[in-house]
Amino acid sequence: MFRSNNLAARVFERQILTPRPGASVNLVRHFYENLVPSCTIYDIDCPDHSFRKFTDDGQYLVSFSRNHQDLIVYRPTWLSFSCKGEDCDSHSLPQKAKRFDSFFTQLYCVSLASSNEFICKDFFLYMETHQFGLFATSTPQSHDAPTTEGAIEGVPSIEKITFYLVRLEDGVILDEKAFCNDFVNLAQSMGVFLYEDLLCIMSLRYQTIHILQIWDSGYLVDVRNIGIFCREDDELFINSHAQVANGVLQHQVTQGTSFLSGIKQRLLSFIFCKIWNEEADPTLRVQHLKKKFYFHFQDYVDLIMWKVQFLDRHHLLIKFGSVDGGVARSTDQHPAFFAVYNMETTEIVAFYQNSSEELYSLFEQFYDHFHANSRNSLHTSFISSHSNNMHALDQLWCIKNKANNISQFVKKMMTSLPCTCQSQSPSPYFDLSLFRYDEKLISAAVRHRHSSEHPIKFISRRQPNMLKFKIKPGPEAGGSDGRPKRISSFLFHPYLPFALSIQQTYMQPTVVNIHFRR
Amino acid sequence: MGSLLGDWPSYDPHNFSQLRPADPSAQPSKLTPVTYHPTHNRTLPPPDQVISTEARNILVRQFYQKSEEKLRPKRAASDHLTPDHGYKQPKGAFGDGSSSN
Repeated sequence: MFRSNNLAARVFERQILTPRPGASVNLVRHFYENLVPSCTIYDIDCPDHSFRKFTDDGQYLVSFSRNHQDLIVYRPTWLSFSCKGEDCDSHSLPQKAKRFDSFFTQLYCVSLASSNEFICKDFFLYMETHQFGLFATSTPQSHDAPTTEGAIEGVPSIEKITFYLVRLEDGVILDEKAFCNDFVNLAQSMGVFLYEDLLCIMSLRYQTIHILQIWDSGYLVDVRNIGIFCREDDELFINSHAQVANGVLQHQVTQGTSFLSGIKQRLLSFIFCKIWNEEADPTLRVQHLKKKFYFHFQDYVDLIMWKVQFLDRHHLLIKFGSVDGGVARSTDQHPAFFAVYNMETTEIVAFYQNSSEELYSLFEQFYDHFHANSRNSLHTSFISSHSNNMHALDQLWCIKNKANNISQFVKKMMTSLPCTCQSQSPSPYFDLSLFRYDEKLISAAVRHRHSSEHPIKFISRRQPNMLKFKIKPGPEAGGSDGRPKRISSFLFHPYLPFALSIQQTYMQPTVVNIHFRR
Repeated sequence: MGSLLGDWPSYDPHNFSQLRPADPSAQPSKLTPVTYHPTHNRTLPPPDQVISTEARNILVRQFYQKSEEKLRPKRAASDHLTPDHGYKQPKGAFGDGSSSN
């Protein structure tokens, strides 16, 4: 803890102060209380691109062209100007400093999508170790796709989705992987999870989890596909025995039934074993099974995989639900289940319903581990969550105590599992132990919000009620009286006191403001 | 007395100034605090012990632990009748019935 609030005193104190073990980053972060992005340049004249995100190491700003076909990458720099004379602080910035290219230099513009394909501007994943970026392009979605073998009904189809691996340093497209007549949930990068160098892509239409590895050279290599088969050689095994069982298989195909997929078989056998072991008395076991397992058998068989994430290199957390449950907002009619699957042993380790209090207690205590931060990334380990921050935990407990029905509360919390990769900004200005801010107006989660007229205040935690800085997303003069709906989004640099606020109003040009420390 | 480390800068020069040798005739410069030597070997590690980091993170370990508890078949009802804790003495009148290891 620093003894003084003064920046110079803190710098001197830092020379002799030893932080608590393992908490040196937390101590150094206190300097962000002194260095705040309090100066704003309103409505800066910038190229008309849709700015997506700063990469987590702060090296690049990723943006897409308005026609969703080009990728433009900028390098964030800092403006520099000199001022002759005394009392420079009171001088306002020179006009030529208030330009977009004082803060950003364009590195390159690369075309990713062609003809009828468009870049999904919600999708971007960054591999920090090699500075690779993963982007996705897709053709328009079609809702009445013909049912093909292996595809489940009720899920829309996209003619072609292509993932591109781009080296952000120079814009070279290193590799690409295409999925045809498939559906991957690209919104907010929800259908894909990146952990270290492993990528898992949830193909909803064919109910397959594709595991890929990103090599150092930039190749996207298939590791395994989990769905119909669990092990890599399952398909070979079945095909080699197909001739022997040909008669049987033919018969089954004509009857309209077929084997359940590998992952489904693993799931059902796990549930069976679990329920079998619940009842100690052998005579009552069958009854217990009938009630708990066979009665719901068809419901279990009809479950489909919705979302998946890595827990570590060998374990996946898979969310199962009913076919129409994925798009429904309410969690009541459509129960969801979570399964932990070990890719190496192909066994299901755990299975919970979304109302499980046991799963909720793990969620409350170990939320940081659900985020599966790799050891390589430094700043992502310090994103405030209710598992590492007392204030966030307080907020969670407040909501829990106010909830009428604990089961509803648990289900609501479980909608955030499996976690979406790289969905939160690592900026220290969102650190809840440093600042207090209105989470409805701004938060670490990168998403669009309704804009408010009033500036968003960041108030210091440790000196209560002391306003540190404000972010006013609107134009300088205030909004017009017509009050059209405005959407704001905020892009914070991961470690510099620097942020962009982007305001989009229907039928009006986008306004971009820059907030920085002078 | 002077600092043990000579004249190096220290946070508080009076630290370690209370250290007095048990034997008054001992040289002050050879002053060292008494170190502990164990008199038994009960706490020695086994000779083939290797300490390494647990490969699984705590969350995955919790999942395995909880599912192992559930999958371990429970004892059949007849087993509960045999006194498992026969070596324990029943508590007095004011004790409650809970038994724990």
